[in-house]
Amino acid sequence: MIKMQYQFKRTNELRFLSHLDQQRLFQRAFRRSDMQVDYSLGFNPHPKMAFALAMSVGLTSDCEYGDVMLTDDISCEAFIERMNAVLPQGLEIVSARILEEGHPSLSASLLKSHYQLKVKLSDTVSKETLSKAFQTYLDYPEILMKKRNKKGKLIEKNIRPFIESILLNQEETTEEAATIEMFLNYIEQQCVKPELILSSINEQVNDLFIIDPTIQIHRKNLMLLED
Amino acid sequence: MNNYIEKNILPLVEKPITYLGNEVNAVHKTPDADTIRFAFAFPDTYEVGMSHLGMKILYGLLNEQKDIWCERVFAPWVDMEAQLRSHNLPLYGLESMMPLNEYDFIGFTLQYEMSFTNILNMLELGHVSLLAKDRKDDEPFIIAGGPCAYNPEPLSDFVDFFVIGEAEELILELMDMYRSFKKSNGTRADYLKSIAGIQGVYVPCFYETTYDQATGLIKEFKPLIDGVPEKIKKQFIEDLDKAYYPDKIVMSYTETVHDRISFEIFRGCGRGCRFCQAGMIYRPTRERSIPTIQEKIEALIKATGYDEISLSSLSTGDYSEIQKLIDTLVKEYDGEKVGLSLPSLRIDSLSIDMLEQIQKVRKTGLTLAPEAGSQRMRDVINKGVTEENLLDTVRTAFEKGWGHVKLYFMIGLPGEALEDIEGIAVLGQKTVDEYYKLDRDVRNKNLKVVLSAASFVPKPFTPFQWMGQNTRQEFKDKQNHLKSKIKDRKISYSWHDSGVSYMEAVFARGDRRLGPVLLKAHEMGCRFDGWGEYFSLEKWMEAFAEVGVDPDFYALRNREYDEILPWDFIDIGVKKDYLIAENNKSREVITTPFCREHCSNCGIMEFKEGWKCND
Repeated sequence: MIKMQYQFKRTNELRFLSHLDQQRLFQRAFRRSDMQVDYSLGFNPHPKMAFALAMSVGLTSDCEYGDVMLTDDISCEAFIERMNAVLPQGLEIVSARILEEGHPSLSASLLKSHYQLKVKLSDTVSKETLSKAFQTYLDYPEILMKKRNKKGKLIEKNIRPFIESILLNQEETTEEAATIEMFLNYIEQQCVKPELILSSINEQVNDLFIIDPTIQIHRKNLMLLED
Repeated sequence: MNNYIEKNILPLVEKPITYLGNEVNAVHKTPDADTIRFAFAFPDTYEVGMSHLGMKILYGLLNEQKDIWCERVFAPWVDMEAQLRSHNLPLYGLESMMPLNEYDFIGFTLQYEMSFTNILNMLELGHVSLLAKDRKDDEPFIIAGGPCAYNPEPLSDFVDFFVIGEAEELILELMDMYRSFKKSNGTRADYLKSIAGIQGVYVPCFYETTYDQATGLIKEFKPLIDGVPEKIKKQFIEDLDKAYYPDKIVMSYTETVHDRISFEIFRGCGRGCRFCQAGMIYRPTRERSIPTIQEKIEALIKATGYDEISLSSLSTGDYSEIQKLIDTLVKEYDGEKVGLSLPSLRIDSLSIDMLEQIQKVRKTGLTLAPEAGSQRMRDVINKGVTEENLLDTVRTAFEKGWGHVKLYFMIGLPGEALEDIEGIAVLGQKTVDEYYKLDRDVRNKNLKVVLSAASFVPKPFTPFQWMGQNTRQEFKDKQNHLKSKIKDRKISYSWHDSGVSYMEAVFARGDRRLGPVLLKAHEMGCRFDGWGEYFSLEKWMEAFAEVGVDPDFYALRNREYDEILPWDFIDIGVKKDYLIAENNKSREVITTPFCREHCSNCGIMEFKEGWKCND
């Protein structure tokens, strides 16, 4: 029995998958590639597999992690090759490694995400204005955001600790749309959605961005604890 | 267009992934000038349509042809429709995202009457002329097939030609004719003439119906031109075992209604339930052999990665070697965590041992369909199932640990009395009693018995095709009466009818005069009529009133045996005389045996030379 951890990327073609769709897709891909996946016991046996993060609909990513329990010894290279042969265009396994027993779970290892966002601007604003707005925003010692807690109650939460930095990508930003690099922290497996930070900037600093589902969000990197 | 839709429209709709056509096993080709472009159209949502077996078969079959590219198109959900309309973009085939009006063929499958307005809506969204007579030479041919095509008349204004019966062989012949037609520089009418004589093809514009002014009944149905048949004979595949079956199917990313491999083990049914249209139109019964089933399932599992196989047919327990088939499949897939499911099991053919064998892998609730509450009524409809059958079955099921039983019934059946309705409640109670007869430690902790009653809709080509439907008030009274008879809290009762079955009854047995009504309803915004939240009986009644057609004429009226029925020109092999005899027997409460045990000469043996049933 081995625990295979793999890094994969998701490109435009499949960015509209929901987390559930993607789970199902991997489950079926394991079968098509004849991977010997370990199943849970009971009436409804489930394959033992997990993802570091639930990807939201629309998100593309260069760096996602998943792991799966396999009952036979298989090399990482064979795993990658066989999986990529059956995965549809839009999902690709980039690397894989076999984890030692007792290795912390993926969700417990989350450290930091690097996002790139492309968002339409509500008015013509200069790059300087944008950069300044980010600076003003980050200078707040505390940034409160209304969030629902697990019981569904609306509470205010300080999101500042979740934000490491927000930078304007000067080269790719145009008059209509800004390209923004965001580095966000995971604290006790929690995080803040990058598009919510844009709304928060709109509220706290200046109405700069058009917040709608056409915002493109791309994860460039996901850093895990040990890396 | 692709990029624009992908960037600006899909992020705004609920299920963007269903509008992209990039699923695993979806077929993409590089077309050239000779490629025949075929859009297989399912007039309901993606999730419903992707569960449809016929589409999978024809999609695979057509795409095996080098010069044909068959793609899929579904009714876009209302949010997507709004986006397409506001951006003035046409509905497109999923794989290539080509606008619908640029295809050579758009083939609709007609699974239920309440999808008819979706057909009109899809044509409009695809920028295709709605009326067949208005279509230009560069517009696609609109084809329709499937069970509702057995009475094609309500759609005859909109469809260029219908395919009556099984299309696996016929469709290739039609494509062949199209290849020659394309080289000939002919007109639309030329192509239609060239295929009008092929068995199973019905081209409505070559026929005319006249009506009696006083009674409104059909006076005559006749061809308008020479060389087209007076009667349209259906097509059926003689050797199902050798017939095409896909070895891979398109994998939906989102969950579909039936998210599993559906494998058709046989076609047709010889039970002869008198309300059942499928049981008549799909005759004769033909099976696939166990080796074929095994081989195809193996390929499908490899190509899809599905973990559930459903053995489908009209009555799965009637497969001649069902026990052997299940033994074989369970043995083969038990270790691989592939579940088996058996839908459409008859109470008398079902063995609980068989179900338990399957349950080892995966557990489901038990659904049974006695169809009627009293023995008299079950004999009237020739269901051939006894109360003893049912109670034996539920007893064994409870013994083996099942706790959730669902029983399906119909109300409004011909000759129904209040006692028959009450019988439904009685049967529910007897089911509960069987549970309490068992020891506490044997039975499941949670008992739930669900009684579900649907409103009966008389269908063409059944022994009940002459019978009027109950009025909505009669249905309501019967439902309320039944409800008042259910006392046990372990029994829940579900019934829902917002007038949908009334509309079904109108269109199931309608004629050409319903075309303008459909058009009117479409203009008034009717679509997704099969979806409770979009169906509006008021709108429909308004459409009927505006066009001046009385829907009761089609739904409620008892018809005489000598009346010309709108679908009489179609020959399904089962003779009208046989249906009349069956109707007469139902009035006298006489049953007809399972045709495998005793042939009642329905007519299918004489339909095709050399054909022998149960051979």
